Amino acid sequence: MSLAVEEVRRIAELARLRISAREEATFASQLSDIVDYIDQLRAFDDGAVSPEDADAAVDAADNDLPRPTGAGDRPLLDRFLDNAPASLDRFLLVPQVKAAQGADE
Amino acid sequence: MMRSTTAEGLAEAIRSGERTAVETVEAAFARIDEIDGAVGAFLELWRDEAAERAAGIDRRRDEGQPLGPLAGVPTALKDNMSLAGHELNCGSRILAGYRAPYTAGAVERLLAADAVPVGRVNMDEFAMGSSCENSALAVTRNPWNLDMAPGGSSGGSAAAVAAAETPLALGSDTGGSIRQPAAFCGVVGVKPTYGRVSRYGLVAFASSLDQIGPLARNVRDAALALGAIAGPDPRDATCSDAPVDDYLKTIEDGIEGMRIGTIREVRTSALEGDAARGFERALAALERRGAELVEVSVPLIEAAVATYYVLANSEASANLARFDGSRYGHRAAQARSLGEMYAGSRSEGFGPEVKRRIILGTFALSSGYYDAYYGRAARIAGALRRQFAEAFGAADLLVTPTCPGSAFELGERVDDPLAMYLSDVFTTPTSLAGIPGVSVPCGLDGRGLPLGLQILAPPFADAAALRAARALERETGFECRPEAVR
Repeated sequence: MSLAVEEVRRIAELARLRISAREEATFASQLSDIVDYIDQLRAFDDGAVSPEDADAAVDAADNDLPRPTGAGDRPLLDRFLDNAPASLDRFLLVPQVKAAQGADE
Repeated sequence: MMRSTTAEGLAEAIRSGERTAVETVEAAFARIDEIDGAVGAFLELWRDEAAERAAGIDRRRDEGQPLGPLAGVPTALKDNMSLAGHELNCGSRILAGYRAPYTAGAVERLLAADAVPVGRVNMDEFAMGSSCENSALAVTRNPWNLDMAPGGSSGGSAAAVAAAETPLALGSDTGGSIRQPAAFCGVVGVKPTYGRVSRYGLVAFASSLDQIGPLARNVRDAALALGAIAGPDPRDATCSDAPVDDYLKTIEDGIEGMRIGTIREVRTSALEGDAARGFERALAALERRGAELVEVSVPLIEAAVATYYVLANSEASANLARFDGSRYGHRAAQARSLGEMYAGSRSEGFGPEVKRRIILGTFALSSGYYDAYYGRAARIAGALRRQFAEAFGAADLLVTPTCPGSAFELGERVDDPLAMYLSDVFTTPTSLAGIPGVSVPCGLDGRGLPLGLQILAPPFADAAALRAARALERETGFECRPEAVR
């Protein structure tokens, strides 16, 4: 199937990406080729492939290790916060969530 | 010095006192200074820290303390694995200035084995690419011919090793990102069994597929390095606690009587140039070493590239949601709301291939398309896994060419993403099945560029794949001596 420019724009919004009109056109053409190629999978999804097969794909390692739960590591937290563009005490600072009028949508 | 020695030989000489770790690390930096202007593998060098670590190793030796299996071996790290305190960019502008707060599990093991990380090497942005050209940071060239791509995404790792800048590098492989550049650059690359090596501290691309593995100039060094980095890590829940084999113990045992399978659906007629002849020569070499060649069928191998690009990009679209300007890396200036900050930071920080893949993955997971794309791909991946398990009933190991051809020119495929994806046709099936794959050089093509043979084994039989790779290496006598960087 081919992807229309409007479709690419809608998906980009879902993915929190802003793309230019030129990128929209390029991506629509390239992604249409890729989705066409991917559509060949219909021919393989026949009697030989069962719904249970999906579970086999997910469980790649059959002996997963449980992760120990431990106390918080303050120095590690500080090193994380060192990477933050803006922080205050133990918190990340970001622009206000509730947008100023008309700013977000 | 760096061109003629092996990691194993260097570590042995350092342990015995024949040479020091300090002079070894100095020699690596001298080679990097001499050649990396042309090759472009390294993004950053850690001279002071490497010198200090090497001096510590020499001191411990003088005090009579035992040294690890990689004592003093200069090693390059792909730009997506964490070393505490060092910058880590994942080949992307969005992580500019990011410093790793902790060290990756595999890198911790490397340090415990007394290897010396000398710097970080280039890669396709977020490991998305097959030529290293999607890096936002640098151009890396193939040491065999500087007009050619080194492959990707671990192109910096493969080029550094092929140019003898370091005897070892770590890479990561999601759909071929260790094996394909290893084949293009004439080095050995190992994608271990899924779960064999910890991914703690590796920037996630597609979590059900990502694996860390070594690149080296010969099979024994690759085996030595895999033994050093493999093993359990409770910080990566998918990391297996199965005992780690001693990969060097069986590596010289040969392949006499081993059943080695070719896959009917791998059509040699579709190979580029003289890649088919290279593959046939490799099969003949395996036979001369006593292997019994059999043919098996894995019909779904033909669906692997399409399946891979749905699953990997779906996972990537979720994994890369964390890069939004709030916690680290690039933040768009003057965003008036959280939504604006997310979209602005991501749009300015990500390059075109990453955006393309995020859009593709978001599409495959979106309402109305989920079952037709993600659901179908997940079913096919599971069935492919089953078909591989059946094939391993009739063969001990399987072999394919690593890639459809040798290295392509820089710039040749950048505007055609689908053509780029198709160079992963033989490496993606292995990733989807979670099985180990070793790419070992099997000779040069008519243009003087290396060709790789991919050897596949059942889950956790990495040792058997390495043993066959070693047998092939002995038979072909291949040595990685690229002309362009003499």
